[in-house]
Amino acid sequence: MNGTQHSRRHFLASGSTGLSSLALSYLLQQDEAQAKPAKPIAEQKSFDLTPKEPPHEPRAKAMISLWMQGGPSHHDLFDPKPLMKEWDGKTFPGEVKYDNAAQASSKVFATPWEFAPRGECGMELSELIPEISGVADDICLIRSMKTGVNNHGQSIRALINGRILGGRPAIGSWLTYALGSETQNLPAYMALIDPGQLPVMGVENWSNGFLPAIYQGTVIRAQEPRILNLQPPKHLRGEIQDRSLAFLKKLNDRHYEQRPGQLDLEARIRSYELAARMQTVAAEAMDLSKESKTVQKMYGMMDGGTTAEYGSRCLIARRLVERGVRFVQVFTQNQLWDSHGSIISGLPAACKKVDKGSAALVADLKRLGLLDSTVVQWGGEMGRLPVIQNDAGRAKLGRDHNTYGFSHWYAGGGFKAGHVHGATDEWGHYAVEGTVNHFDIHATLLRLFGIDDTELTYRWGGRLQSLTDGQEGKVVEEVLS
Amino acid sequence: MRRFVPCFALLLACGLAAITSHAEDAAPADKSLKKLTFERDIRPILKARCFHCHGEEEEIEGSLDVRLRRFLAKGGDSGPAIVPGKPDESPLVERIRSGDMPPIEDESKKVTADELKLIEQWIIQGAITARPEPETLTDADLITEEERSFWSFQPVRRPTVPAVRNSDRVRSAIDAFVLRKLKADGFSLSPDADRVTLLRRVSFDLLGLPPTPEMVQQFVEDGSPDAYERMVDRLLASPDYGDRWGRHWLDVAGYADSEGYTITDPERAWAWKYRDWVIGSLNDDKPFDEFIREQLAGDEMVEPPYAELPSDELAKLIATGFLRMAPDGTGGGADDVELAKNEVMAETIKVVSSSLLGLTVGCAQCHDHRYDPIPQSDYYRLRAVFEPAYDWKKWKAPNARRVSLYTAANKAEAAEIEKKAKAILNERTKKQNEFIEATFEKELAKLPEDIQPAAREARETDAKKRTVEQKELIKKYPSLNVSAGSLYLYDRKAADELKKMSDEATALRATKPKEQFVRALTEVPGSVPKTFLFARGDHEQPKEELEPAGLTVLADNSESAKLPLNDEQLPTTGRRLAWAQRLTSGKHPLVARVLANRVWMHHFGRGIVATAGDFGFLGNRPSHPELLDWLASEFVDSGWSLKHLHRLILTSSVYRQAGASSVVASTNPESTPQMVDPDNTLYWQFPLRRLQAETVRDAVLAVTGKLNPKRRGEAVPVMADRVGQFVIGKENLNAGRPGAVIDMKGEDFRKSIFIQWRRSRPLTVLDTFDLPRMEPNCEKRNSSTVATQSLFLMNSTFVTDMAEDFATRVREEAGTNTGEQVRLAWQLALTRAATDEEIKDALAFLEQQTQHFTEKPMMVKDTKTKKDAARDAGEVALANLCQLLLSSNEFLYVD
Repeated sequence: MNGTQHSRRHFLASGSTGLSSLALSYLLQQDEAQAKPAKPIAEQKSFDLTPKEPPHEPRAKAMISLWMQGGPSHHDLFDPKPLMKEWDGKTFPGEVKYDNAAQASSKVFATPWEFAPRGECGMELSELIPEISGVADDICLIRSMKTGVNNHGQSIRALINGRILGGRPAIGSWLTYALGSETQNLPAYMALIDPGQLPVMGVENWSNGFLPAIYQGTVIRAQEPRILNLQPPKHLRGEIQDRSLAFLKKLNDRHYEQRPGQLDLEARIRSYELAARMQTVAAEAMDLSKESKTVQKMYGMMDGGTTAEYGSRCLIARRLVERGVRFVQVFTQNQLWDSHGSIISGLPAACKKVDKGSAALVADLKRLGLLDSTVVQWGGEMGRLPVIQNDAGRAKLGRDHNTYGFSHWYAGGGFKAGHVHGATDEWGHYAVEGTVNHFDIHATLLRLFGIDDTELTYRWGGRLQSLTDGQEGKVVEEVLS
Repeated sequence: MRRFVPCFALLLACGLAAITSHAEDAAPADKSLKKLTFERDIRPILKARCFHCHGEEEEIEGSLDVRLRRFLAKGGDSGPAIVPGKPDESPLVERIRSGDMPPIEDESKKVTADELKLIEQWIIQGAITARPEPETLTDADLITEEERSFWSFQPVRRPTVPAVRNSDRVRSAIDAFVLRKLKADGFSLSPDADRVTLLRRVSFDLLGLPPTPEMVQQFVEDGSPDAYERMVDRLLASPDYGDRWGRHWLDVAGYADSEGYTITDPERAWAWKYRDWVIGSLNDDKPFDEFIREQLAGDEMVEPPYAELPSDELAKLIATGFLRMAPDGTGGGADDVELAKNEVMAETIKVVSSSLLGLTVGCAQCHDHRYDPIPQSDYYRLRAVFEPAYDWKKWKAPNARRVSLYTAANKAEAAEIEKKAKAILNERTKKQNEFIEATFEKELAKLPEDIQPAAREARETDAKKRTVEQKELIKKYPSLNVSAGSLYLYDRKAADELKKMSDEATALRATKPKEQFVRALTEVPGSVPKTFLFARGDHEQPKEELEPAGLTVLADNSESAKLPLNDEQLPTTGRRLAWAQRLTSGKHPLVARVLANRVWMHHFGRGIVATAGDFGFLGNRPSHPELLDWLASEFVDSGWSLKHLHRLILTSSVYRQAGASSVVASTNPESTPQMVDPDNTLYWQFPLRRLQAETVRDAVLAVTGKLNPKRRGEAVPVMADRVGQFVIGKENLNAGRPGAVIDMKGEDFRKSIFIQWRRSRPLTVLDTFDLPRMEPNCEKRNSSTVATQSLFLMNSTFVTDMAEDFATRVREEAGTNTGEQVRLAWQLALTRAATDEEIKDALAFLEQQTQHFTEKPMMVKDTKTKKDAARDAGEVALANLCQLLLSSNEFLYVD
């Protein structure tokens, strides 16, 4: 409340909200010193986004999650089951966990798409994802994911915030809380949403839960202004804003001249300059025209349609990580992968959208030497069932939810390359080998960032909270390089 | 492990600080010259760092108790801890030097070098005590003379107002106290600020809003000698006063419209009645002693049962909402419900003690207070005051504590409506069964004919009695299982028809008279639970029973000062009422001081005691102790009138002096007040302050003319928008995604105090400007200067929209002449006329921007034709200028 002469000291003391650390360093002209890591995690008493060293040697420094909301069919993309060919159309001999009984059938649905060994590692992948197949030697495919909660909302929560309940911080929030950000010019945690509808659970996907609000994901929208508050509305851009800020500075300078020594006023004048600089950095980070034609092509940006749109977001994700952003999540639109019906046409379309961009991201990070320190996650909250849903003619066939066994793939940041982990049963229904549940994958990801899942805590609601929330999460050593 | 959680938390919250750095009135360098005594110089160090293991705990480490000097000399398992005169031979010194003690890795909790030096010096001097040590070790014995004589524990004595020679600046006692100190340094107050500055200052201070042009005119044109006093009186009479000063009280009360604690953070639908009660009480200038008593024990002043109460008695129940503001996770979802209950009580004690006592009593929950003379037993004695109401063994979840306002007539009417609704629902159930049967028949017909009879039989058989074959059959054809829950999947039309019927019943039920509730704290007559000391703050380790009492150090729990266990004259125990009466007797050393200090803090940005919530040893000492006591006694003597206190302060020269823009004269250019007292602790000018979060938003609304003047009532809801920012709005989610935006019909322009304070959803515009978190309350707000605020002002929809509204108002009121527009915009935003130079600059700016918008028009969709149309360039440019005024430092700061 006090803006008097002691405000500089006051300013120092109040550096716990927003991007104050940046404003602070600007004021003290210590830009270089800023990169020095501060005290590590666990029970921090003040909250900021300055970079922090993890307690253990990290493998990864950043993460990009390509989040496939709706649940891509592992049967048709990642997990071939030759046995099912013989059973195609016949009654499934085992027990099926249906979600929609009205449309359920017990007829086995063998994949209509071809699988083949890819890369030197020989990982079998479907013909629907030729580009991802091209980076098979760089990815670690986990065929034994499991959450065991058979609807979208709960399973999303399990994989995003650790439990099936809402109101908890997303993994991106935990990571930025623990490690801060390598850049103070951009938000530490960014969510690139699809131009279509928001994914199921909406804004909860990047919620800070009970953690302080500075750890919330900042959305990059599909339309202008792409980042709210970090970019002016379209009509106030460019020289209009330059002149505005110059005029504002004149007002503020005049005001300050009449109040000499009021450092808070000076700091605020500076904070406008800083804000303008951040705007420039953000705009630059999203300006893909800075990339070569080759790179743009690699991400499918010349292909038009959804491929180009998704590819450009993957490229933005890479540019953000390159600039020090800690956690980026790229979302697909609402239920893109929820193939209850018309899988024959729907699944190839979904694959066409993401295949090129996803593969390009891995290859490009590798090209730039960033893959070693960047985890790429590819997957959604569920897979699909081995039986037909909506048995109303071939064009309408679909598959129902399956959270008992499905596939994700990871690349970089310490994950084994060209490796397949775990397996589902012969019907691709249940994970039976090397099962990786949401606690396990979270413990594994935190480990790669140099953090033991039990030591990253926040006191709230009468106890110490953590991402794995006291549940036993095993680090999946087999997938680590 | 879990048992230690509360204690761990408190250790963190209480922290540990270097003793010497806080003992401002005695620098260590001076101490080494004079005779050091155990009580004054050594004990505080040992109390903070060693007492816990070496004295307070049941099992004493190494049998060494360090709480008395004679215990140190006697020593423990390894012999005497001190050898007087010989620090190098004293194990106490040796163990500290080697770093063995205290056995903690955290450097900040170790004995500092200065502290060690003091201990060594004390031993060299012979390790003396100030007086013979007590024979016994009761709570009272363990409080030293030095602790008892601490400034804030002394009774308030009205000091004589000093005579200040040749000063025309003395308007009141306040000025005399402040000037005496200033003069001692050769300084004086700044001259009075000009009228417009004063009006803007008082208006933001008392109302949280900028003055309207009418207010400016009225004040500036008032030629009477008491024009200023009359202006202050007008503002004090404004209902906006209660909103502004009510907010200050709600901060210390920890007001929130949600329960917090669990991730669902449920809404507190009825908390707003307490908010309105606070606002109303302040507007009425309800004597503050009464204000406190009603909040602590309003229920004890009303005869139960609490049904169909007259409004004045109802108000007393509403007042107890104060004790229901702590986060409460006992309504469901807490992992450890017993712990959650205990935390509600612990947080309530924190709220009560920091708001009224100005002491961190909460630090004594797990162990004796490390710095202040508050034994752990005192904490539980205070808890006993609240025990009968909270009754943690017969706990009630938040909703069960509500008091219904339903009358008998309401109940009868509701029952009648319920009867009709039930009839509709019965009809619906009948229909539903028919639909299910029909659907089943259809699904059955789809099966091969030969298995149909078996399938029918399988379905008709009770699920538990089905044979293996029947179970297989059902599993194979899950559609045989059609039920109320899955009917919609088969027969949409039927489901819709059923839904229509339930909607009808719901609509009918909605016509019942709405049941209103009061969020209150009450006792169950006849139920008097016991209170135990919890070892290490762990509710699973109850020890000795304790009775309700005030603090030992204030002799508040002596035999004569005992609080009633169960007052026979009252239907309740009377514990809270008796304690409240003691606090407001006018003789309590802390209450009036703490309140007067907080009022001063809100007027000047800093308290006379800078740590408004901590009048203890670690808190700051008062900068003007006599002034504080004078204000406290004046407050009490005036019948605890807050408005009287405001008038005293606002009419003083200290308050009326010019701020940062004044040129402060000094007799000696080598020692200006800026050099000697850069923090302005002497008050040689009025401090410049940034508007606080709510005031920023409210001022913007007021200037743009959008402010909705509606007062009182339910909180305006807050929701997440499409990117997760918290905005005003009714939540309209579908699978977690925001649906269509619901028109708020102007509710979105209500003053900030009426906007829902949901702990998990801080309104983004307020959060950006340092809205505090209520954990459990806020004793002093922070004010930061960060780039996010600048970005918000430059780019947010809130500000750009408001700027458009501001521009519309300016055009409507000033007409089309741009010069007039600029003049009015300045007047509205900054409460002053623009200078010629400013007008010239602004016109040039408008022209440039207009030209730009003419060449590159801003396109908007016409609502009627649905076609893109260019907006008037001049209008866009004016909105642009208006936005800059709202973003300017002059708008955001008050002189």
